[in-house]
Amino acid sequence: MDHRFQVNLRGVIDLLSHHLYSTPGVFVRELLQNATDAIRARRHLEPSHPGTVRMELIQKQDGGLPTLLFTDDGVGLTEEELHRFLATIGESSKRETLEARRDDFIGQFGIGLLSCFMVCDELLVVTRSAKGDGRTMEWRGRHDGTYTVRPSEHPLEHPGTQVFLVAREDAAEYFTADRVRQLAVHYGGLLPFPIHLTVDGRAEHLNPAPPPWRREYESAGERRTVLLAYGREVFGQDFVDCIPLRAEAGQVEGVAFVLPFSPHFNARQKHRVYLKDMLLSESAENLLPEWAFFVKCVVNAQGLRPTASREAFYEDATLARARESLGQSLRQYLVDLAHSDPRTLQRLIALHGLSVKALALDDDDFFRLVIHWLPFETTLGMMTLGQYRQSYPSVRYVNTLDAFRQVARVAAAQGLCILNGAYTHDTALLEKLPRVMPGARVELFSAAQLPQDFEELTAEERQTVARLRQVATEALEPFRCEVTIKKFLPPEVPTLYGDVDDGAFRRDVERAREETDELYASVLEGALAGSPEEERPQLCFNLRNPVVRRLARVRDTAQLTLSVEMLYVQALLLGHRPLNAREMALLNRGLLGLIAARLDDDEGTGGMH
Amino acid sequence: MREQDWREQVKNLLGRAERLEPGEAKVMALEEAARLADAHADGPLAYEVRDALIDAATFGGFPDRALVAFAWCRGQQQRDPVRYPPEPLLWKQKWVVGRLDEFPHISRKQIAGALDDVEQCFAKAGAGRRAVLKLRYQAARDMGDAEVAEDFWAQWVREPRDHLTDCRACELDDELDHHIDRGEYAVVLEKARPLLEGRNGCAEVPHLTLGSVLYPLFKLGRLEQARDSHLRGYALVQRNREFLATVGEHLEFLALTGNVERGLKLFERHVGWALEHASHRDRFTFHSAALALLERAVVEGRERVVLSLPRAFALYSPGDTYETRTLRGWLASQAEGIAAKFDARNGTDRFHQLLARTKRLGGEGVPFPIDDSLPA
Repeated sequence: MDHRFQVNLRGVIDLLSHHLYSTPGVFVRELLQNATDAIRARRHLEPSHPGTVRMELIQKQDGGLPTLLFTDDGVGLTEEELHRFLATIGESSKRETLEARRDDFIGQFGIGLLSCFMVCDELLVVTRSAKGDGRTMEWRGRHDGTYTVRPSEHPLEHPGTQVFLVAREDAAEYFTADRVRQLAVHYGGLLPFPIHLTVDGRAEHLNPAPPPWRREYESAGERRTVLLAYGREVFGQDFVDCIPLRAEAGQVEGVAFVLPFSPHFNARQKHRVYLKDMLLSESAENLLPEWAFFVKCVVNAQGLRPTASREAFYEDATLARARESLGQSLRQYLVDLAHSDPRTLQRLIALHGLSVKALALDDDDFFRLVIHWLPFETTLGMMTLGQYRQSYPSVRYVNTLDAFRQVARVAAAQGLCILNGAYTHDTALLEKLPRVMPGARVELFSAAQLPQDFEELTAEERQTVARLRQVATEALEPFRCEVTIKKFLPPEVPTLYGDVDDGAFRRDVERAREETDELYASVLEGALAGSPEEERPQLCFNLRNPVVRRLARVRDTAQLTLSVEMLYVQALLLGHRPLNAREMALLNRGLLGLIAARLDDDEGTGGMH
Repeated sequence: MREQDWREQVKNLLGRAERLEPGEAKVMALEEAARLADAHADGPLAYEVRDALIDAATFGGFPDRALVAFAWCRGQQQRDPVRYPPEPLLWKQKWVVGRLDEFPHISRKQIAGALDDVEQCFAKAGAGRRAVLKLRYQAARDMGDAEVAEDFWAQWVREPRDHLTDCRACELDDELDHHIDRGEYAVVLEKARPLLEGRNGCAEVPHLTLGSVLYPLFKLGRLEQARDSHLRGYALVQRNREFLATVGEHLEFLALTGNVERGLKLFERHVGWALEHASHRDRFTFHSAALALLERAVVEGRERVVLSLPRAFALYSPGDTYETRTLRGWLASQAEGIAAKFDARNGTDRFHQLLARTKRLGGEGVPFPIDDSLPA
């Protein structure tokens, strides 16, 4: 009897190939999925049924297009089921409906079968149900939407299903032995029943070994070697170590591979995940806790839900629990290293410090274990927190790059060791220290504080700089900058500009206001009104500096003012502080003034030379 | 510094910023690069760096810094429109102007001026009115001009899309507010479906959406789905202070469902953001949600709570123990203070209405414990 289904099959196929599937090659996955479902269904009836999938590539002697015969010994279909699967597809003109159909056996069977039309124009399905009357039915469908269902003239001896695919000319590349083997191993390599491929009369068992994390090994060393080789095969790169993974929730097992390089902070690693032994995705992202971006993994889950697009696991409570357990596996690995092989852990920290820091932030016990091995930048170079605390009773840190740059130049010469907490997690880790380790002292250091550690002037020196102090204070008042005079190292630094925390930003605002139009100048004023009155920046003169010593002796007020202004501008520039309009005017006026003064000198003494 | 040195340094800073997740460190690296370029008077480079800075500040939770960088670029762009084409800056203008009402000291007149200016700039670029109508709708809504907002809403959704309107995911997400305001919770969920199912998405969607649907789901009694939205959504927003208000929505949900322990953990983790966030509206959302949570803690009879709060916190205690009622009082005064400023500026009572809504939440609670083993 001829039937024609009431849908535009071409349309459904288009929908599948453009929206549901990334490549025509997934027809192999869909056939394997159908076979898997059928074998599992048959096991419900006969629990000891082992199940086998056979693929045979039949090449034509006359050079005609090859045929792929795909056979399973699963539960098979009855005639009624054959009609039903077509009906379910007939209703599926939307992607969402198609997705939903995947949840039932018949729906999945039909959708899976339709995917074959991406590589062939005609399909023959021969099937015998384990439940029915023992008849063998055949369904012959064409891509134009016509099909026939009739009892087969070649009855099957046992229940199961055969699918014959005749290659379409433009898809012949999918019908070579290499391609079929590669696709079958790719999608179904972990399936717990044998997949055989026969080509030219020679049969080959494609999945002889269980997944490498489930095999027995002679020794830990052998296990490691095999797993690392597997990682290289899967991801095409070498890894430095491997970590077994297991979670009760979602029944997840697999292996994580430690990357041999430092990944970008927010690069979520793409993992290869299998769902019920079938490849689900090679780019699943949401499997591990966020801090664990130092590994890539391969896992198989029996009890997680896929998302509609089947590219990742659905974010639900089971996944959250599984993620937590997998995180525990990774954490345990790090803890074991800390106890048994600290040198390896230190190498790992050098590569993956960010991951380790992120975990330490979330986990107090782990924090205690590793905090002293974590490296930090300081004004005296890189050192671990352990080394730092051995030499300095109190941890002093700055929390911005800008502040670090401001203090670095002088602090190093003064022998002051200040930690740079500007990098990701560093400030949070340092602030956590006294909470987790009572007795630890941690203080936020600001550049404005630096002069506090400088040497005070003697009474006599104070007297000699009194005039300099007064003139400088007056000269810098319009710039809202305060003046101090102390002695510090290195002597070649005449002044140090010390800013409060958001001083640099306030200067940015000032410049933006100068640059922008009236509308935004007024908006900027509004935006920043109401913030608390700022502390003023400070210009600290260094009496160890020869120029500053000479300045203290200058009598001429105009000359002294000019010099102070120029030192102020120089300090700003050395601190990478861009000048605002008034400061720029100062610089220009100052330069001209210096030149003029120089010329005056020359003219005044000209005749004497 | 030699020519080579500072250019190399700017390049390094840009490279570092690119690798960093959205947030303070990224913004600061770009600001430093901009200062270097300014200090060496390299205008085009300074412009390029600020272009990236506006993005980083906008999507990393520093609207004040985005505004400052934008204002600078705008000045340059107006002076030299050949070198700096206007269109790329129009996108950023939308982001910046969309947030002006969140600073209580910016006057209504200034906001209106900035909106009119958007309208003119977009018209000059040959864009339709859809983008500006959305901005006007949102500003009116935020400032409590309910009728004006209603009117702009109707105009906005009628206007056709064009090359300067926001992506579909953002627009759809923005549409939800209107239905939430009207209590049309079923409509909210129906409209949000493509976002929640991942068919439309972008850098901030469904991050925002998963927070917005919590209250509608809660009111419709779909608590399991609400819990899943909380777990999924919080994981997406917890590392970026741009989502402070969304974290507030999660806090509110935890208060409503009696998950005080979990809520306190979130409060402890994010209150530092609220203390210094430039958007006072986002501070308000967070503080008033936290107020609902502490209210709930008081009702449960917790005299004291143990929290490690940042040192910048006004009532900071090194011992980590706080009187629940004292904390509640502090939050109430914060929320009240911000509400008073906004309502005074706006000349409406929207923020006091919102505060009154928060106070009513206590009577709406339905216990729905979330498993402790789930990561918060």
